[in-house]
Amino acid sequence: MYLLEFLIMFPLLISVILLLLKGERLRAGLVKISALAISSAAIALLISTFHRSIQYFKAESHLVDKIMFFTEWALAGYILYLGLKFKRARLTLLILLQAALMFYFEYSCGAKVISENNLFIDKFSIIMSLVVGIIGSLICVYSTGYMEDFHRDYHKEIKDRRNFFFFVIFVFLSAMFGVIFSNNLLWLYFFWEITTVCSFLLIGYKRTQESRNNAFRALELNLLGGLAFLAAIIIFYRTTGSIELSKVMLLGKAWALIPVILVCFAGLTKSAQLPFSSWLLGAMVAPTPVSALLHSSTMVKAGVYIILRFAAVLQGTMAGFALALIGGITFLAASFAAVSQSDAKKILAYSTVANLGLIVLCAGIGTYEAMWAAILLIIFHATAKCLLFLCVGTIEHKIHSRNIENMSGLIITMPKLSIMLQIGMAGMFLAPFGMLISKWAALKALVDYNPLLAIFVVFGSSVTLFFWVKWMGKLIIVAEPKDEIEHGVSKSQWFPLGALSVLTISVCGFFPLVSSVLIEPYCLEIYARTITMSQGNIVIMSIMLAMVMLFPLSFINYGKRVKVVDAYLGGANINNNVEFRGSAGTVNSMSMYNYYLEDYFNEKKLLKFGVIISIVLVIAMLGLSLL
Amino acid sequence: MSYLKRSPWVIHYDASSCNGCDIEVLACLTPVYDLERFGIINTGNPKHADIFLVTGSVNEQNKEVIQNIYHQMPEPKVVLVLGICATSGGVFRECYNVSGGVDKIIPVDVYVPGCAVRPEAIIDGVARGLAILEEKHKKFQEISGGKGELVITEAAIEDAQEILDLQKLAYQSEAEIYNDFSLSPLKQSLEELREDFKNKVFLKSVMHGKIVGSVRAYLEEDTCHIRRLIVHPTYQNYGLGRKLMRRVEAKFGQAKRFETFTGHKSRRNIYFHQRLGYKIFKREHVSQLRDRVFMEKPLKKE
Amino acid sequence: MNIFLNILLYLVLAPLTGGLLAGLDRKITARMQSRIGPPILQPFFDVLKLTQKENLVVRRSQNFYIGFFLVLVIFTGALFFTGKDILLVIFAFTLAAIFFVLAGFKASSPYSFIGAHRELLQMMAYEPVIILSAVGMYMVTRSFYVSDIVSFSRPLIYYLPGILFGLLYILAMKFRKSPFDLAASHHAHQELVKGITTEFSGKALAMIEVAHWYENMLVLGFIYLFFARLPLAGALLSLLAYFLVILIDNTFARVKWQLALLSCWLVTLIFGFGNILVLFILRK
Repeated sequence: MYLLEFLIMFPLLISVILLLLKGERLRAGLVKISALAISSAAIALLISTFHRSIQYFKAESHLVDKIMFFTEWALAGYILYLGLKFKRARLTLLILLQAALMFYFEYSCGAKVISENNLFIDKFSIIMSLVVGIIGSLICVYSTGYMEDFHRDYHKEIKDRRNFFFFVIFVFLSAMFGVIFSNNLLWLYFFWEITTVCSFLLIGYKRTQESRNNAFRALELNLLGGLAFLAAIIIFYRTTGSIELSKVMLLGKAWALIPVILVCFAGLTKSAQLPFSSWLLGAMVAPTPVSALLHSSTMVKAGVYIILRFAAVLQGTMAGFALALIGGITFLAASFAAVSQSDAKKILAYSTVANLGLIVLCAGIGTYEAMWAAILLIIFHATAKCLLFLCVGTIEHKIHSRNIENMSGLIITMPKLSIMLQIGMAGMFLAPFGMLISKWAALKALVDYNPLLAIFVVFGSSVTLFFWVKWMGKLIIVAEPKDEIEHGVSKSQWFPLGALSVLTISVCGFFPLVSSVLIEPYCLEIYARTITMSQGNIVIMSIMLAMVMLFPLSFINYGKRVKVVDAYLGGANINNNVEFRGSAGTVNSMSMYNYYLEDYFNEKKLLKFGVIISIVLVIAMLGLSLL
Repeated sequence: MSYLKRSPWVIHYDASSCNGCDIEVLACLTPVYDLERFGIINTGNPKHADIFLVTGSVNEQNKEVIQNIYHQMPEPKVVLVLGICATSGGVFRECYNVSGGVDKIIPVDVYVPGCAVRPEAIIDGVARGLAILEEKHKKFQEISGGKGELVITEAAIEDAQEILDLQKLAYQSEAEIYNDFSLSPLKQSLEELREDFKNKVFLKSVMHGKIVGSVRAYLEEDTCHIRRLIVHPTYQNYGLGRKLMRRVEAKFGQAKRFETFTGHKSRRNIYFHQRLGYKIFKREHVSQLRDRVFMEKPLKKE
Repeated sequence: MNIFLNILLYLVLAPLTGGLLAGLDRKITARMQSRIGPPILQPFFDVLKLTQKENLVVRRSQNFYIGFFLVLVIFTGALFFTGKDILLVIFAFTLAAIFFVLAGFKASSPYSFIGAHRELLQMMAYEPVIILSAVGMYMVTRSFYVSDIVSFSRPLIYYLPGILFGLLYILAMKFRKSPFDLAASHHAHQELVKGITTEFSGKALAMIEVAHWYENMLVLGFIYLFFARLPLAGALLSLLAYFLVILIDNTFARVKWQLALLSCWLVTLIFGFGNILVLFILRK
């Protein structure tokens, strides 16, 4: 109980201090200490509660409710002001609608709404709190070093608002914990809206025209989701007289389906599924730690978290099937679109959207196997993706580009970073590592439920392989000698990177443990049955993991018993790997560019196609829920 | 036993041939002659090939290519020249733009004359090449398997001629790198070399009574200058050079530091020395084509 | 103890059979072109010769990837032939192939680079049908374990003819044969030399060759699964599939990657997915 409150309140407190604090050293120190505190609190929470079943906490709410109430209206006012100031008609409309709905709810039944238990904790919340607590705080630590470089060396034109930046980030973390632990749906909604506003502020951090536009797009789409969320709460209350998550879950499918689908709609916007994914792709303009935060541990994970919470209700319904299809289409379209990208952050963004699609696909079918797979996906995706984003951030500062064509030979120029990057990629798609375990599980779940859905995974994952491997290959190509340029990366960047690399590997090493302690009991609680990976398969996975881990050992033999010669260039090399003699004695040099297959994997067409299909599916989903 | 004979893979290069011989090479692969029944494959890739077939009289543009392909083939390897042009330049021998025979560019093992060379002759030539390949393989096995006995001793003035021959062979590849065949090691005369014996210590490594490697050094104010480390091309890459360096360093144990130099483009030499603990400390301009890179190794204090 | 014996048998027999099949392939191909052709043992001579050659590299670490490729392919085969989870077999197989592709990248030469890219493209083309075949087998036998699939009461071909066709279609890719020999062609000197294997010589090339034999056996094993109820007929039919690939190799020109990718996916969608759809509807 105290830990829960600590996790929600402490970041909030720190954020206020950070906003007021002036000295940079002091701020960095405070961020690091509080990151440590948050992550240890998350771990302490795990240790103290993992053996217990769901716990509910009353959490005296009178004062809190009041504060929330005022904050909510203040935020609405702020957004309205923004909408009017920047002449965003859609934004204004959305916030007015929301305010009207809110007002209606407060007016008609605000006084009567009471919630018995405001907070709760179960296995799934523990997992999420670990993801947010550990990965989120690592990102905070990373940000201290990164933002310093960012303002000092790379973006002098941008106004240094670092205290504001950290303020928002810590509020964000606090809100995330709030989302995870709230049992009172109104609280949940409140924290949900806070994350929306925080992401808006962070995306717009640079205050350029582009970032402003993208920030507004994110705000609009997420407000749309918020609207659906609010509507869902009202319907919940109207039909059941309760606004508690736990009670809603106990209701039959027939009752809960409409509001659940509305909540899922909100989840879709937040987790950037098609047709709403444009905001996450636009969010790249923000400084890299923000992308890492949005993509890995917070924002989008809140979206799938809420969908997964209701997954059990969706099982076997047509609306759930439509949701699964949305996830599948998103997975497919985003993976395909990633093939034609050369911007590293964009590839990562598409990959995030794709993997969330896979989670939504699992949630849509809602069986216990799917739930197991989806939670695994959340864990593995969060660690690996965070590592990838942070690596790209540092690399971008060093090579002044995030085009993967410019990352050729990174293994020489930035050996440590490129190895970490490769660990992250391995975590995203390579066999014994995390994502593949979850894909294995997802495939199994899909085939058991409806084999036709497997088609998404089948095509999506083969395409995934293509764009990851070609990037990986680009990193290890060394056409000509280059100098190392890795020095000067600060310790506060190295530490989170190293920690995340270790985490990415150890999460798959210890995944049987994670599964048996947290995920399987959770599935048992919800479905009264669970799936687990058989002993034999775990052994095989471990052997594979061990083999891949042993790979660096082969470098003991580095350069022995081999003769180095130039690459074959039709015999026309001029004493090196890259230059060759052309006709009439000219000296040409060769260059290698990756395949992007733009004619076949056209981003625009794919997205257009995906958006159209998914809009149809969203409408179908909403329609089907009414049946 | 060697399997080279059972599966010789060839690469064929047309060094400005009139295509007469090339057609015949291709004819060997057709059903009539079917070279593949001997396991012979035309790979078209030097890194996979055992036998290098060259046709044509070799003009300026081909030189570099022939050298490149030759060096990109793994040992043991054999060079076969097909047709009279490749053998000696043929009727083009006197032409201004022709080098007159492949052996002016790279070492040749088998000459198959003819205009155009007959497929039967080519097959016969390849068969002869196989015997040479076998021989080279044996030598190669001896060093790579550590079977041949290698003796490193101080050289005497009687070895001067043999060392000079070796030096000219070993420096060939260096000359190719800079396209400068006036390197002093290639121009050195026997007398000059004999002169060297007076103030330098020569080491030689001998295998089967033949000198396959050598190095020379002298001491000057606590610094040991190491010069002209040479290893026979066939025996390169098997640690002979390293052994010679170790020996010479041991011999000059009293020196405080060791110094040597090489050309700036000689990447393999630089890497070799770096692995022995040498570091580049100076670069000097010698000619338009070449810089001299000085490398040193301070001796660790015990 | 039995399992170790099995693994040992596999370790020895798979490359032997694979090599012999490769020799047979060259002989048959030669006969189709009215040549005499090399002895059947030729592939073994080639590999033994390669082990006696010098190791040339462009980058000093390129051969490690090849070593891993071989180890992983062997590991995959061991999983398959001891009857483990077929999805894991596929994933391990993919992992092995990825190491091969990375080796091509690492070699840092334009030819191996193009070869690696095309290999990757082919992987993208054939992965779907391979995973779909696992899905189909699961639908029929209710198990992902190869051991269960083999002992299923009826030959899978009754239920999964479409998927088998899809697998046969991509067979040429796995065997690196025309019309899909895009990545490491034996007959494309001018265009991409030896593609992905261009920069590998000596022992590394020998390892690639041996790994390829293991791979071929694994793929034939996959085909065999469809007839597993009738072992003899199954073995014969998988050999027939191999012969079919040789025949196609000798009668078709190489296609462009566009056609390779699109046709593979179309075949997967129409025959593979169609098969599953029909099965699903019939089961309902």
